[in-house]
Amino acid sequence: MCAEPLLRVEGVCAKYGDFLAVAGASFEVPAQSIVSVIGANGAGKSTLMDCIAGVHKPVSGRILFKGEDITGLSPNGVVAKRLALVPQGSRCFTRMTVEHNLLMGAYPKHARAGRGERLEKVYELFPMLREKRKDLSGSLSGGQRQMVAIGRALMSAPELILFDEISLGLAPTVIKDIYQRIRAINREGVSVVLVEQDVARSKKTSAYSYIMLRGEMVLSGPSKELDDEKVKNAYFGVR
Amino acid sequence: MAQAVLQGILLGGVFAVVGIGMSMIFGIVKLANLAHGEFFILGAYLSMLFAGQLDISPLLTLVIVVPLMFVAGYALQGALINRVLGMGDEPPLLITFGLSFILQNVLLLIFSADPQTLKTTYQLKTIVVSDSLIVPVLYLVNFIVGALVILILGLFLRFTYTGQAIRAVSDDNMAASLMGISVKRSYSIAMGIATSTAAVAGVVIGTTFTFYPYTGSEYLLVAFGVVVLGGMGSIPGTLVGGLVFGLARTIGSQVFGTNYQMMIGYIILLAMLMIRPQGLFSK
Amino acid sequence: MSRRMKTEYGVFAVVLAVLFVLPLTGAASDNAMRIAFNIALYAVFAQMWNLMCGYAGLLSLGQQMFIGVSGYATAVVCTSYGMPFVLGLLVSGVVSALLALFLSVLLLRMRGLYFAIATWIVSEMIKILFTGWKLVNYAGGMTIRVTPYPTLSQQFMLILALAAASFLLVQAMLRSKIGLGLAAMRDDPDAAAGLGVNIFKMKTLCFTVCGFVTGIGGSIAYLNRLSVFPNGAFAIDWTIAIVFAVIIGGTSTATGPIVGAFVYVLLFNFLSRYAGYSNIILGVIAIAVIVVAPKGIMGTLQNRFKFELFSSTRPSLD
Repeated sequence: MCAEPLLRVEGVCAKYGDFLAVAGASFEVPAQSIVSVIGANGAGKSTLMDCIAGVHKPVSGRILFKGEDITGLSPNGVVAKRLALVPQGSRCFTRMTVEHNLLMGAYPKHARAGRGERLEKVYELFPMLREKRKDLSGSLSGGQRQMVAIGRALMSAPELILFDEISLGLAPTVIKDIYQRIRAINREGVSVVLVEQDVARSKKTSAYSYIMLRGEMVLSGPSKELDDEKVKNAYFGVR
Repeated sequence: MAQAVLQGILLGGVFAVVGIGMSMIFGIVKLANLAHGEFFILGAYLSMLFAGQLDISPLLTLVIVVPLMFVAGYALQGALINRVLGMGDEPPLLITFGLSFILQNVLLLIFSADPQTLKTTYQLKTIVVSDSLIVPVLYLVNFIVGALVILILGLFLRFTYTGQAIRAVSDDNMAASLMGISVKRSYSIAMGIATSTAAVAGVVIGTTFTFYPYTGSEYLLVAFGVVVLGGMGSIPGTLVGGLVFGLARTIGSQVFGTNYQMMIGYIILLAMLMIRPQGLFSK
Repeated sequence: MSRRMKTEYGVFAVVLAVLFVLPLTGAASDNAMRIAFNIALYAVFAQMWNLMCGYAGLLSLGQQMFIGVSGYATAVVCTSYGMPFVLGLLVSGVVSALLALFLSVLLLRMRGLYFAIATWIVSEMIKILFTGWKLVNYAGGMTIRVTPYPTLSQQFMLILALAAASFLLVQAMLRSKIGLGLAAMRDDPDAAAGLGVNIFKMKTLCFTVCGFVTGIGGSIAYLNRLSVFPNGAFAIDWTIAIVFAVIIGGTSTATGPIVGAFVYVLLFNFLSRYAGYSNIILGVIAIAVIVVAPKGIMGTLQNRFKFELFSSTRPSLD
């Protein structure tokens, strides 16, 4: 019998106004794995992630994390369960220094103990952040801000991190660099969900992939076994 | 003139406190609290009540007034304003407008329209510096109280978890919620701070000038001026805004007479709104 | 004109005619006439505030400046110079319109909230100026002497005509190209500007119309009140009452301001027996409406029963 996955999303539907952005999406994330959710702009990926993180309330469906139902929990409730979201566009606190940003990540009560060591670990992972720790995060480049956002998520001692389009608008070398760190984070035992528009890169990094189209998962399988042609068709909705 | 400048600066410290709560709510909740002036004047009336009942100095009543006003602001935000956020800009604004009207009339009902002052033992004392320059102890005490409030608030926002959470919410409330911060609770705390700082300013101003239930709206415009001049959510900006308005008032009253004492302040405020509505201290 | 519109305007004309004839029959008591006068007066003010806030996106907290200036203009023209009331009425409208036009240049580039505060500040400034102005007897106020002084019935007919005119004017504006531009502007100001909608010009027009009509209303209001003082004339209370009426009636609806004026005046009249408490109760009602039914009476009814009286939405916009 298969072990219970770390995260299980069952038939989640979510609306933006009257528009059904997520239409019954289901997927699973096994413990300690990297899973990618791939889809074009407007496929509903971000809304789905927002639902998991508690930022957006789904209209139906269930979200189970570590076997517990976390559907409709507030964002602080979700963080307390050790599930973190790195939101699209990094969303750093631009008027705070890099270090204060990171420390904000350790705001949840469970994360306050040992935040010093975790800060040290984040600095080891991203030495650049240590150099710039006194700078306002608003003064950083896009890639550096993503690093702040990742470090900030790590500070809450999560067991699962959702990365929402982390590579959006970044230079290829920077993206490569960030992906290396994500793999390093995963090796430390943190599970990862990569939300991407970039098929090749996310397939290469993840063990398992889902293709999302118009609010649903239309194709899934172990990343290595997924046929490129089929992925392409699913991605664009070609039958 | 030197006398007017000195008094203007001392008054500015208090005006900064009048504005600081408004500035916080503006920066954090993105709301102009039109009832801010009424909270300010409510502070003065509460102080009058407790000072009379307990026979203590108005400044001592702050020990009771501040927590009371904090609870009032916290409850108001949680029970009322948080509900209508996200319904557009107008509903929350109009709720505070309605609240200002209600509070004004409640004060009128309880305390009548008679002008009041808070009496202190030091209200007539002065420190003579030179022939043309005397420091009224009242103004000096007010300034010190004002400076203390701003200092404490600054330290709170910088060094406590709650304070940092409030700053994070003001920066990006969605990201803040991902950090496990309850945005609505932060709003409520910010409102509590805003109402209690307004009340401190009210008590201090109440020892210096006469007040009546309608005084609130006059000081709402002072608060707004301080915010617009200083930029929302900026503590140093608020201080500068307060000083400018304090000076505008004392100098205006010296040059144009008391009828026009607010005129310079209004003109500055209007000019700021036209030229640089984001304030001098915002990016 | 569609059939439905014909019916709507037909009913409107009949109701108007009945109201117009009402005072001539002598069936209404003086007290009833006073209430009717105030309803029509607030319908005018509310109509104009709704044009600004509900359609042009300009939340004004300074309507009292037009009312106050008009009260004084009427006093100066009629009392100081002994001119007939018609002239006082016209001067009031023109002065208020010019004030609005002048302020357009200064204030209309401000975004929502700043505009609201700025209009309030300007009103306060005008109050200070009038308090220190010899021509208008400083803070002492002025009496308004008009000969021959119109009867209450005549005053009512006058304000009723203005109320009807202001309603039709707003309807006409919304149905014209201006209405289209305003709708586009409310949906997406940047896109509207990109499409060549001259937002500034459109807002200026709305603000000036608002000044003109509110000014004429203010003149009639002070004809009724007989004296004008700076503290009362430029009191924010005017705007509070107007905002209350529009919120209760329903912002951005054609008939909301009229319904709101009705409710406000009747409620105010009813509550006046609870002196001291009446304003508090009014304030509580307003807040409750904002929280429970933010669209007001007409907006809520229209949503529930899926109809819209005097609809100005064009099918092409949907």
